[in-house]
Amino acid sequence: MSATSAPRHIEAFAHAAGSVAAGVPGGATGWHGTLLNIHIAPAASYEMEELTEAHCVAGRGIEGDRYFLGTGTYSPKPDTREVTLIEQEVLDALARNDPPLQGGPIQLAPIDHRRNLTVRGVPLNHLVGRRFRVGEVILRGGRLNFPCKYLEELLGQPVYLPLYNRSGLNCGIERGGIIRPGDPITLLD
Amino acid sequence: MSTRIVMKLRVAESVATTPEVVRLTFVHPQRPELPAWEAGAHVDLRLPDGRTRQYSLCGDPADRSRYVLAIKREDAGRGGSLWTHANLTPGAVAHVSHPRNNFGLAPGARRHILIGGGIGVTPLAAMARSLAARGADYTLHLCARSAGQAPLLAELQALCGDRLRCWFSADGPRFDPAILGAPEDGVHLYACGPQRLTDAVQATLGRAGWPAERVHVEHFAPIDDADFKPEPFDALIASTGEVVHVPADTSLLEVLRRRGFAMPSSCEIGVCGSCECGYRDGTVIHRDVVLPLVRRQDRMMPCVSRARVNVTLEL
Repeated sequence: MSATSAPRHIEAFAHAAGSVAAGVPGGATGWHGTLLNIHIAPAASYEMEELTEAHCVAGRGIEGDRYFLGTGTYSPKPDTREVTLIEQEVLDALARNDPPLQGGPIQLAPIDHRRNLTVRGVPLNHLVGRRFRVGEVILRGGRLNFPCKYLEELLGQPVYLPLYNRSGLNCGIERGGIIRPGDPITLLD
Repeated sequence: MSTRIVMKLRVAESVATTPEVVRLTFVHPQRPELPAWEAGAHVDLRLPDGRTRQYSLCGDPADRSRYVLAIKREDAGRGGSLWTHANLTPGAVAHVSHPRNNFGLAPGARRHILIGGGIGVTPLAAMARSLAARGADYTLHLCARSAGQAPLLAELQALCGDRLRCWFSADGPRFDPAILGAPEDGVHLYACGPQRLTDAVQATLGRAGWPAERVHVEHFAPIDDADFKPEPFDALIASTGEVVHVPADTSLLEVLRRRGFAMPSSCEIGVCGSCECGYRDGTVIHRDVVLPLVRRQDRMMPCVSRARVNVTLEL
C-alpha cells in the first residue's frame, strides 16, 4: 500500500455543481430516509469492508477510507469526494433489469458498488447544493456521482450505462461524528 | 485486462513442498467463498512497498474456499519471494488480487499436453485437477533437477497416476520436445517454466508443424532482450489531442501516469496484461510477453512497449 498523504478535497458548496445548485430553490422535501450500509476501502482497488459504525471527519472523509487517507484512485484529482452515497432503490432497479437497456438483471451488492453509504428513501439526485443529516453528521451535496469505466473493469460487470444518472451523490462533511446503519437521514435545507 | 480487486486474505497453511518451494493456502477472513477462477489463472500478491508479483493458482478450481499458491524462493530474484518466504506464515495477512487468466485451457480440445519446468508446473497443476475432474485426456510432463526439487510432486503423483511423466535431469534424460512429434487434430499443448524450456518447446513444435494457436505458453519473466536500445517518441492522446513526449529512459506508462491518466498496472515488466491500451497510427515496438500476435496491431502494453517516433493512443 502506498504511503498515506494528506487528501485534497473541493469543499462541496465550492464545487462547480454544488455552488450553482445551492442557490436554486426546489427539490423533494418531506422524505425520511435510512442509512443501510457503511463501506470503506483502505486503498484504490482494495475490497470494500463493511463497518457497523464509522467516524466521519469534517472536510476529510470517513476514517480509514481511501478518500480520507488520500490513497484512492481519484485522490490525485481534487474533487468533492469525502463521502459517496448511492440509493438502494437503484440497486433494486438494476436487479430487476429496469430500464431494460442492460443485458439482464445485474446484482450489485452494497459491498461491490464502491460508494461509502447505501441509503434507502433518500432522493440523492435532489440533494446537490443541499444540507442533510445522517444521524448526528451533517453532509453537503456537492455533485452528482457518475459511473466510471474503472468500476466496470474492477467488477467485470457491465454497470457503466445502467448506473448513468443514478450513480449517487458525492458529499462533503460539514459536521463530523459517528454514523451507524439504521441512522435516520433527513433534509436540513 | 484490467485492474482487479485486492483482498486481504489470511494464510491458513504453509508447507514446504521442496526445500525451496513453499505451498501456501489462503482463506478469506469474512467470506466463505473466494472469487471463482479457472485453471491457468494467476493472482497478484502485493508486497508492502506496493510492488506486485504474479503467482499461478495451483489448487483445485472447484474448491472456492481457498486459494493455493506455490512460491519458490529466488535468492537472486527481485525480492518478492524472499519477503514471502519470511513473512507469509500461518495467520499472516496477504494482499491478494482477484484472479486473472491469460493461460486458460482451450475449450473443445480433445487432448491436452501439459509441460511444466520447475515452479512453472503451478498453473499446470490446476489444469491437471480440472482435466482429471472432468475425465479428460491429458498428460503432464514435469521437468525438474530431481524428485526432491520437483514442486508438488506427491500430490501430482496422487492426482495424475500414469498421466504424470517425470523428467529428472539428475538421474535420467532431460525432457525433449521432439518426442511430441507431429501435431494431431484437437491436441493442445501448454508449457510454463524457464524461458529455455518454453523457447525449446515453441521452436521444436514450430518446426514439426504445430499451429501456434495450439501451443500455449506462459511466462512469468520479462522478454529477454538486453540489447534493446529505447528511443524517445511522442504519443498523441486521441481524445484530447494532447501530445506527450516519452524520453528514452522512461516508460510510456510512467509518462501517462505523470500526466494524470489513472492507468492500471501490476507487474510493469510486460507479463501480466493489466495496463493494456489501444493505439493506432504508429509503429509499436512490442516488448511484452502477454499480448497475442493477433491483437498487437491495435493493442499494446505501455509498461514495456514503445513506439517508433510517434503513436496515437486510444485514451
